[in-house]
Amino acid sequence: MPAIETVDLQREYPARRGPGLRAVDGIDLAVAPGEVYGFLGPNGAGKTTTVRMLVTLLQPTGGRATVAGYDVATQPAEVRKRIGVALQAAALDLLMTGREMLLLAATLHGIPPADVADRGADLLERVGLSAAADRRVGTYSGGMQRRLDLAMALIHEPEVLFLDEPTTGLDPTSRLTLWDEVRRLRDEGTTVFLTTQYLEEADQLADRVGIIARGKIVAEGTPATLKAEVGVPHLDVTLAGEDHRDLAREVLARFGDGRPPTEECDLSVALPDGSAGLAPIVRALDEAGVQVASLDVKEPTLDDVFLAKTGEHLEGAD
Amino acid sequence: MTGELRVTWALMRRGLNEVLRVPGASIPGVLAPTIFLLGLSAVFGEAAQLPGYGTTNFTQFIVGVSLLQGAGFTGAATGVNLARDIERGWFDRLLLAPTPRMVVLLGIVGSAALRCLLPVAFLLAVAFALGVPWPGLPDLVVSVLLVMGFATAMACWGTVIALRFQTQQAAPLMQAVAFSSVLFTAAYAPLDLLAGWLQVIATINPTTYVIEAIRAGFITEMSLEQLGWAVLADVGMLAFFAVLAIRGMRRIGR
Repeated sequence: MPAIETVDLQREYPARRGPGLRAVDGIDLAVAPGEVYGFLGPNGAGKTTTVRMLVTLLQPTGGRATVAGYDVATQPAEVRKRIGVALQAAALDLLMTGREMLLLAATLHGIPPADVADRGADLLERVGLSAAADRRVGTYSGGMQRRLDLAMALIHEPEVLFLDEPTTGLDPTSRLTLWDEVRRLRDEGTTVFLTTQYLEEADQLADRVGIIARGKIVAEGTPATLKAEVGVPHLDVTLAGEDHRDLAREVLARFGDGRPPTEECDLSVALPDGSAGLAPIVRALDEAGVQVASLDVKEPTLDDVFLAKTGEHLEGAD
Repeated sequence: MTGELRVTWALMRRGLNEVLRVPGASIPGVLAPTIFLLGLSAVFGEAAQLPGYGTTNFTQFIVGVSLLQGAGFTGAATGVNLARDIERGWFDRLLLAPTPRMVVLLGIVGSAALRCLLPVAFLLAVAFALGVPWPGLPDLVVSVLLVMGFATAMACWGTVIALRFQTQQAAPLMQAVAFSSVLFTAAYAPLDLLAGWLQVIATINPTTYVIEAIRAGFITEMSLEQLGWAVLADVGMLAFFAVLAIRGMRRIGR
């Protein structure tokens, strides 16, 4: 049984006049237990709306969804017992201490007081907040608040964890700390549904990625499969001057299909064999007397996948 | 303690944080009714010489009004705080817990009953300092309980508005009802002395009966009949606004 399953899931927001806005437009998903599923898409694609339906905060207007085997529309209380959620904005009370927040989260989930102290202390240790546990949350940095938010989502040991853009706005160090925690959760067998607009995050963490655009899933698979689907590595060539551009183009044409130049390079050619195909090209350019400023082997990215499927780049892709 | 009671108490205790940890935040809710008590006593003090007041001490006549004003402000503040929690996403965390919605609501509005004890204590201290006679412990306790009930009813109203508009910008709507429900009563003159339209409104306004019972406790003695009407009025207001709040909770999350 999938940990998360949706069939033709829809959410339409009514408009005063005319047709409503369909934020989620028929999503089919099946996330296996223990899997980290990356839900990747630009702002406004429908990621958060999908998550809010899956965590029972929003009623679907069409289709159906089950989480941990329970229907989100008809059995929301059962779903809530089995999920942990860290939404986009860390939902914390700035007047309370980290320890108090964890105790409150435990109480809200019906954990007996006798079990709370040990479990809370363990989690605070795990997210690196033991030293700050008795400080008010208002004094925490953004990264600390996100880590506390994550600890609160884990207090009742959920089967399925939803993380909605958990690293947006975080500094690189805090981001890496959160990534490590997600990996640890995966190793422990927790199913993680992770929405993100960061390609690298999805690439690094997700076992499978679903790419969403305008409320629909446009591609789904492992990061490697998706990238392989859209293309092969290519070599970007930046010339030292304008004199040998035509000559360089002739040389490169012998090795593969040319690609349109970008702002970052003058010429580009496909490398079906990856880096192994680089040496002959370098020799040929040298023998032809073409002066090269830089050569850069580029692997396909999830942004290429998004570009291929939607004709647009993902925000945050660089 | 059962799980539901633990959650209710935990949420009520959280509601007290603002009083205990940011004492300055309580000042407006304490100061406003105190200013009314002092100012109106000074300006209209001689009005109590008219027949029908039952006392010549105007402060004694309006002390119950000030207590209810303090409770009303506290109730409205509960709605404002909830709107802030909704804006900041904290309320989503409550909705994501498997706790029944009724328990969440009880914890939120129940905190108002406790929080209103701060303005009540301050106002009583000011009133006694101004020469209001001690009403006797039973009438004082009953009066405070009636005030707590009114604070909870106003907290339910604040909750209704917070759930409907989900923004702190709706605060004036919360405060306006809390304020006018005390103002359009026999707050500053006996019912018989009120002008025609105000007398009609005050007669049908349930808060009038709460004020009159508390007033009787401070001036003479609260009769069982007055207490009965006051409890009925308090419970009626509480039930009315609670039903609206429960509907609001159901609308925002199943």
